[in-house]
Amino acid sequence: MAYIIEQEVVKYVCTCGLLKPISKLYFCRYCLEVRCGFCVCHEVDSHFCEKCLENMPSAEARLKKNRCGNCLICPSCLLHLSVRAATVGPKNPEDPKATPRKVVYLHCLMCRWSSRDVGIPDQIAATGGWPERENVYNVRLSEIIEWYKSVVLLEKQQKLEKDKKKQRKYMSFTDKTGLTAEMIRKRIGLTEPPNPLLKTKAKPLEGAIAKEDVEELPDNIFTQPIKLNEITTVQQRLLQPEWQPVTVDKLFPIHKHLSVKQSLRCRSCEHNVSKPEFNPNSVRFKIQLFAYYHIPEIRIVTVEPLRAGQPAELLLKFINPTQHQTVVTILDLSSMPELIQDDKCSADTSTDDELKPIEKEPLSLSLTQSASLLHTTLSRQPSFTIKPRQTKQQVGADIEIPAANFVLPPRDDAAEFDDSGENYNFNDDPRLVKWRKSNKAVIKLQITPSTDLNLGDQVVVGFVMQHIYTNTIATSVEKDKEPQKCQHKIRVFLSLGNLLGSSE
Amino acid sequence: MTSRNNIKIIAGAIVCHEAKLRGDVTIGAGTIMHPCAFVNAEAGPIIIGEKCLVEEQSKITHRVPFDRVEQKNVPVLIIGSNNVFEVGCNVEACRIGDNNIFESKCFVGNKVTVTNGCIIGAGCYITEEQVLPENTIIYGENCLQREALCGPGQQTLQMDTLSKMLPNYHRIRKPNLKS
Ligand SMILES: [Zn+2]
Ligand SMILES: [Zn+2]
Ligand SMILES: [Zn+2]
Ligand SMILES: [Zn+2]
Repeated sequence: MAYIIEQEVVKYVCTCGLLKPISKLYFCRYCLEVRCGFCVCHEVDSHFCEKCLENMPSAEARLKKNRCGNCLICPSCLLHLSVRAATVGPKNPEDPKATPRKVVYLHCLMCRWSSRDVGIPDQIAATGGWPERENVYNVRLSEIIEWYKSVVLLEKQQKLEKDKKKQRKYMSFTDKTGLTAEMIRKRIGLTEPPNPLLKTKAKPLEGAIAKEDVEELPDNIFTQPIKLNEITTVQQRLLQPEWQPVTVDKLFPIHKHLSVKQSLRCRSCEHNVSKPEFNPNSVRFKIQLFAYYHIPEIRIVTVEPLRAGQPAELLLKFINPTQHQTVVTILDLSSMPELIQDDKCSADTSTDDELKPIEKEPLSLSLTQSASLLHTTLSRQPSFTIKPRQTKQQVGADIEIPAANFVLPPRDDAAEFDDSGENYNFNDDPRLVKWRKSNKAVIKLQITPSTDLNLGDQVVVGFVMQHIYTNTIATSVEKDKEPQKCQHKIRVFLSLGNLLGSSE
Repeated sequence: MTSRNNIKIIAGAIVCHEAKLRGDVTIGAGTIMHPCAFVNAEAGPIIIGEKCLVEEQSKITHRVPFDRVEQKNVPVLIIGSNNVFEVGCNVEACRIGDNNIFESKCFVGNKVTVTNGCIIGAGCYITEEQVLPENTIIYGENCLQREALCGPGQQTLQMDTLSKMLPNYHRIRKPNLKS
């Protein structure tokens, strides 16, 4: 798995034009296009706490400000705080019968910060009950939020009245206050219950008042030496924006932020390319259309020293990750012009109609379900295609495009343990294919670094890899149908290393 | 300097045979030294106090800074009591007090003076000439520093278990000094 941690030397061009290593790409089986994190739709599936692994509905998460109610993190170093038990002397030491009491306090294993440092009293029970601090600006903040909500509501009302007749094709759920239940009610034709916020007009807010004269700095600020151990770092201050403690004795435990499980959706066909399992304990996926499982992986084996104008031999290893045999052809970069969208493979779209309902949820959900559930299942952004951007990768070497193509057999997990001599009968061009073993093949290419390059420049070569992709979606729906095969093209750029001086 | 080893182990110390001791080393009572701990008194004597715990692969070196090599009288490296040297730490400090913890893979340079109750966090590097005040804690990849209210607690339980277990599975050096 070296390509995950090491430098990215082999990069594929995503449909959107960005360069990514194969480990960061997805492959939509419905559009037959690669997608990356930049050109898919990100959706939050569920909120959970990664320490106690507890699931939280999104409404509750919003109410709790996306924090876990039980887990606390260290205000000094951000690590999880653990509960530590200790015994202290009895309450009244005069009583000879009194036994020592068991108490708990919070303790950080990393920086050894403890709740005793700032004078938080020890607790009897290990399960929470730690004192919560009240934000002094709570009232003011909630006033502002109320006011803001009423303004948004009013604006929406006015807008709705304006374009009541126009039937919108898409609706946006990405709204600022989360008034999604109302949107859905409208969509399925229910009458709107009168909004309580509209009736009781929020009282107008007093704006913040700017002050002309500010307090003078105390004189000793210039003379007193700073004790770095007593003041907090900027990070520690910004961790608690409500209090922004200046000295370390005001650091208090912070509730842990929640994590989300997110699913990724192809923007053009609205199918998921990645969907995790709902359970926070699970790290598996329901849908994982990672390019790594569908597109041949390319690794650089060796390259001869790169000298300007001199041909060098480049050995590349191709690995077929699929269960189907494929044929790989190396093509020139010009065979895949940029910014052309309809340069797609011959994907048959006739099965699309049968497939789509699997993903789409019916809109007629009963209203007894909580608004949050509706929110997660329906928060689908209207699909829109992003115009692919120009790939700005400069190519610094010519590549001799081989005339022959080569076959990659399907992946066979058992073959790894099979030492018996394999004999292949693929009619390989011996000038192209140098080595093969099960689903892997090493091929030889001839490259010539350009004479325009300067010494020490990174030499990048690019080509188009065309491979046969076997689409198995149709077979899973209709058993007797043959899997569709199509030609898929993808541009690949390889960083080969730096240009050396001439050998003379 | 001293090519011959001069090892003094005070009765009550548990020093495994595989622990490497070089030069003039004195080990106090109750100290536990794991196999493959490495104490190198290359520049001058090292005196380790009582009830210290020196774990595997930890290195304690007495090395004089380059600019002081010329000085005639080489100081003795005195290590106090109840110090813990965790797996893989590399300590060259010129003086160590009591109750300190050197966590795994930390490095303490030879210009650093460690007082009492300090904790050098895992992987932390301190090389600059300085005196660590009492109860200093150094932690994290940026070697942030904070001051604790009190020093770390003693590892009595761990020490008791080790002093029972180690002699059952390892050859122990015979103490050569009465306490
Ligand atoms: Zn993309
Ligand atoms: Zn939690
Ligand atoms: Zn901490
Ligand atoms: Zn798609």
